[in-house]
Amino acid sequence: MTKVFITGTGLICPLGSDKSSSFQAALEGRSAIGPSPADIAERLPDVLVARVLTDPATLLDKPYAGLDRATQFALIAADAAMTDADLVMPFEDARRFGVFVGVGFAGAQTLDNLYSRYFRTLADLTQAHKNPSVMHPLSVPRMMANAAAATISMRYGLRGPSNTYSVACASSAAAIGEAFRAIRNGYLDAAIVVGAEAMLNPGALMAWNALRVMAKPDAADPSRSCRPFSLDRSGFVLGEGAAALILESEARSTKRGAVVQAEMAGYGCSSDAQHLTAPSVEGQVHAMEDALHEADLLPDRVAYLNAHGTATKAGDVVETQAIHKVFGPHVHQLAVSSTKAVHGHLIGAGGALEFALSIMAMNSGSLPPTAHLDVPDPQCDLDFVPLKARHGCDIDAVMSNSFAFGGSNVSLLARRPTR
Amino acid sequence: MLEDLIKKYLVETAGVDPIKFENPSLKVADLELDSLGLVEMLFEVEDEFGFQVPDPMVFLTMSYAEMVATIEDMVRSHKAGQALVVEQPVEHK
Repeated sequence: MTKVFITGTGLICPLGSDKSSSFQAALEGRSAIGPSPADIAERLPDVLVARVLTDPATLLDKPYAGLDRATQFALIAADAAMTDADLVMPFEDARRFGVFVGVGFAGAQTLDNLYSRYFRTLADLTQAHKNPSVMHPLSVPRMMANAAAATISMRYGLRGPSNTYSVACASSAAAIGEAFRAIRNGYLDAAIVVGAEAMLNPGALMAWNALRVMAKPDAADPSRSCRPFSLDRSGFVLGEGAAALILESEARSTKRGAVVQAEMAGYGCSSDAQHLTAPSVEGQVHAMEDALHEADLLPDRVAYLNAHGTATKAGDVVETQAIHKVFGPHVHQLAVSSTKAVHGHLIGAGGALEFALSIMAMNSGSLPPTAHLDVPDPQCDLDFVPLKARHGCDIDAVMSNSFAFGGSNVSLLARRPTR
Repeated sequence: MLEDLIKKYLVETAGVDPIKFENPSLKVADLELDSLGLVEMLFEVEDEFGFQVPDPMVFLTMSYAEMVATIEDMVRSHKAGQALVVEQPVEHK
């Protein structure tokens, strides 16, 4: 089996429009969480969001202007990752180059716009001469789950598989893991993996609000409303954006002299098979242990773990217990943080974003903090890097957890490249 | 004018060279639209006037002028004889 290297990273997320500014904001604990736009706040005044403030359409050529917002984020992140990896079209080995995308609620913006248009046309008496059922003919290809994968495949002429993984909060983590195994087992030589999500619209947020998992606004400072592992936590805040990684076989990356950012070392994937939303220690332990086993690493080699850390009581406590079980006595040498406190929960894009931040932490030796952790929950007794970044760390390997509604668990492991 | 609406899509979104419209016998086929491009072009009209063009493929064998005239007839018929005035784009377009 070949080694798999990560050679490019691209981000557009609430923390910034590129990987450097996003990582810097994560290190500074600079929260991007704030009030909803007016059309949402009108009905849901307490629902907060972590938005990407740059309109993605303004960063793309005109033919991409009508695409779903999630696909637009995916394209921007993909472009940035390709540039970061110094990859230039056309690809002679296009048949050996795959596209792996993770999305939670694909086409959410297009679907919301479609319903909104229908009902607004119906309700607007000045539009009475119009048939409300007239819709844009490309609505279906814009909102299909594989819209981003298809667009990326066509944009770069990539002729390997272009597959989409939809595993709620673990979507793009699963996409990374599956791309890793496809290269490791010789089916492909390279892959671009993208996580994308954009559902900060009225319809989707009304649905999320009904689930009672959203953070209540902090009266003094709404940007501090998401507090993972904190005794006064109240839930998470939805974010949006995309993260992209380039994965290449050792042979391909060596042949072209690529700069290697990390070695993709392990992927663990499990299902709880017990509850729609409640997490399970056992399922999470399986995912983390499988990732360590595949990487052939002992727990003491992992120095940083980017937790799923959603700031729900059940989620935080169960993940803490699962980490204890996997790392045993070595847990005291492990730094854990949840960056969701500042970038929100990007659902389908979360796994790729947080794995990318973990790799940047490994390479810089600087660990992003768990922001707003002033009052730790006694049931969450790990080193959560509270409030302030930690610098000058010597890190060999990092893990990132993504645990999804539906009981799907994914853990990813990256390490410094071994040759 | 309705033709302006169509031409704007063809030039700005579909990338048709504006010089082509100087040819009075320009054919729809010369616009080199695929089937998705054709229906997307028609949506500019459908969105403005609020009806769906029933069979987009009939335009493929027409001249450009015939296509515009046919669509104008459809709009007239839909608006039951009202004068052709392009309205301001609706807010939620």
